[in-house]
Amino acid sequence: MTDQAYLGIDIGSISTKGVVIDGGGRILARSYLWTEGNPAQGAKNVIAELEGQIGPDTAVVGAGTTGSARRLIGAMIGASVVKNEITAHAVGTTHLHPDVRTILEIGGQDSKIICVDGGIAVDYAMNTLCAAGTGSFLSSQAHRLGVEVEEFGDIALTSKRPANIAARCTVFAESDLVHKIQVGYAREDIIAGLCNAVASNYLNNVGKGKKIAAPVVFQGGVSKNAGVVRAFEEQLGMPVTVDPDGHLMGAFGAALLAADAGPVGDRGTGPFAGGRFDFDAALDFDFTTREVECGRCANHCEVICVYRDSQLIDSWGNRCERGAVKR
Amino acid sequence: MAASEEKPTRAPRDLANNTAERRFSDAVRAAIAFVPEKLRPPTIIADRPKRLKRDRHKRIKVAFFRYSHYAPAFKYFVEQVLDAEYLPLPAPTRRTIEQGSQHSSDYVCTPFKHMLGDYIEALELGADVLVQFGGFCRLSYYGELHELILRDLGYEFQMLNFAAGLEQGYLGFAKECLKTVNADIDIPHGVRQLLATASMVNKLDEAYDFYLANAGFEVEEGAFRRAWQDFMDAMASCTTAREISDGFNRAMQQMRSIPLDKPAQPIRIGIVGEIFTAIDAHSNLGLDEKLLAMGVELHRMVNLSNRMIRYNEDNMRVNVSEYLAYNAGPTSTITVAAAKKYAESGFDGIVHAKSAGCTPEIDCVAVLQRLAADYRIPILYLTYDAQTSDTGLDTRLEAFYDMLAMKKEAKRR
Repeated sequence: MTDQAYLGIDIGSISTKGVVIDGGGRILARSYLWTEGNPAQGAKNVIAELEGQIGPDTAVVGAGTTGSARRLIGAMIGASVVKNEITAHAVGTTHLHPDVRTILEIGGQDSKIICVDGGIAVDYAMNTLCAAGTGSFLSSQAHRLGVEVEEFGDIALTSKRPANIAARCTVFAESDLVHKIQVGYAREDIIAGLCNAVASNYLNNVGKGKKIAAPVVFQGGVSKNAGVVRAFEEQLGMPVTVDPDGHLMGAFGAALLAADAGPVGDRGTGPFAGGRFDFDAALDFDFTTREVECGRCANHCEVICVYRDSQLIDSWGNRCERGAVKR
Repeated sequence: MAASEEKPTRAPRDLANNTAERRFSDAVRAAIAFVPEKLRPPTIIADRPKRLKRDRHKRIKVAFFRYSHYAPAFKYFVEQVLDAEYLPLPAPTRRTIEQGSQHSSDYVCTPFKHMLGDYIEALELGADVLVQFGGFCRLSYYGELHELILRDLGYEFQMLNFAAGLEQGYLGFAKECLKTVNADIDIPHGVRQLLATASMVNKLDEAYDFYLANAGFEVEEGAFRRAWQDFMDAMASCTTAREISDGFNRAMQQMRSIPLDKPAQPIRIGIVGEIFTAIDAHSNLGLDEKLLAMGVELHRMVNLSNRMIRYNEDNMRVNVSEYLAYNAGPTSTITVAAAKKYAESGFDGIVHAKSAGCTPEIDCVAVLQRLAADYRIPILYLTYDAQTSDTGLDTRLEAFYDMLAMKKEAKRR
């Protein structure tokens, strides 16, 4: 008797997350790796790592993808559910924390707030036109200060007097930061100041006008930074929960949605040929993406074509029928 | 005395061949002076044949900017009221907005850039006259600014700027049309046709409201789009008020006969926002079609007929007096009033669309946030600029729809 399981992959701008869950929503395997600018390879690495963690009796019968490369990876692995990250996070978090009222999420390039009432998302906001105070800002500043972004939180917690850093805009925050370094502020004070700036920028920007009610769950890659967690707790005046699997919540939500959709069945081709996800096949397939500029009118749509073993499996990006790529 | 008695002497004969001396000499120039002895006697002229009625049609090409589904009304205005030739513009492309952004200030609101791009394309296609609206907000200054920018670029054209004439009321508007486009307009006919143009705008909006509310539930994909296209074609070929109402009735009949698969309690979303971005599909990256494809019922109060033709700001504000004490901007009252109406009618959500740099609508956001808290209705705020990506919009709309659908499902159970 094999156990039915579902795969969820969250391909973000900075990191790729993957989980395998059983039918009841328990996490069987987890993986968290850097995307390194190559989502296809990142997803393959995650799939390979997940394969090593599950037993031979576990049959993955469905898959869901989310994150900014969800469409590409969804086409790659033949996912039955391709969902946006907001829905995936809401579904994943409300499953683990049914009483949650507010979900704060800060990822590599975007940040969002989801208000929950009675286990259902009732309102959300996402940063627009600006990526100030997200994970990529922190990691570039860590690079400038010569520390690993993973150590950021612990260093921040040692600070007694956090520096005041103007964080309205990433570019100005950076110049302010350089100024503070030049006048000789202690490194831990600057780092703590950055963490405070991330939290206040988030609350002033994405969280503007939203009622933040307890219990609050904080997730996304930046939630691993204890300095930002402390900054949020101080500024909100309420405890902020960080789930140990908080960074995997998008992938977990995608897997839950795939479980709701049920087994995909026999697809004939691709990794789901035979109705069971074939890890080796998914790793062996050669995926290439080609960007074609449609020249049929002056709009010049960029059409993305995805090939599996030099066979076209999906294409998107065209605005009208003229640009549709024939299989 | 001797000098005064001296008579002017006649120029010597040989001066005739000496140009320089002849020119500067004070002597009498002509050898023979002509003295008319009597006036020509009056003669009776036969009655002239009565002049034929002048050809009033002016053969110059007039172009509007692209604006949502109003092209047939613009065409009707040019052909029937101004009695000139209308220059239709092809569908906009990425080049349009690139051209527009390139020649505009970076911080001007996005509609300005779209319009400028449209004008450049119109001039390339041979337009002689460009038309710009007036009223509202900074829009009143846009006509002059567009004209300056385009002239600096080296284009030659006439600008029919409604804002310039409307300062002096309707008479000023009429004078502006006569002066810039066609001095031979048959005034009574023009006034009648101007009323017909207004009726066409009303009909276009009424039909589109039906489209928004129902197109998301069509059984056969594309049936509504086809009916709408037929309607647009019919409107584009109208020449009289009767043809407008006949075309409208036919289109409504056609749209009503499209089979629908509409649930009893569909998800209803209201669109509010700035009058250009919330309406114009190219500016808001096909917001209507994206939402309709998810199968929702859409409502949008803001359009030309509600904002221009039958607009009464004071009375509209009475109903939202708890949110607005004063007239806060061109479309602020209609934005808040529409949002309140949607919230009170139990809509599932509201989408607020504005262009980056639209100050009045930025002010509205704070009011809408209070309204959202009072009525517990989610509002999605969308800001568009010239570089806004399709993918980001898809993510937000999909998440918004998922949230509303899950909420509705939970409420039903």
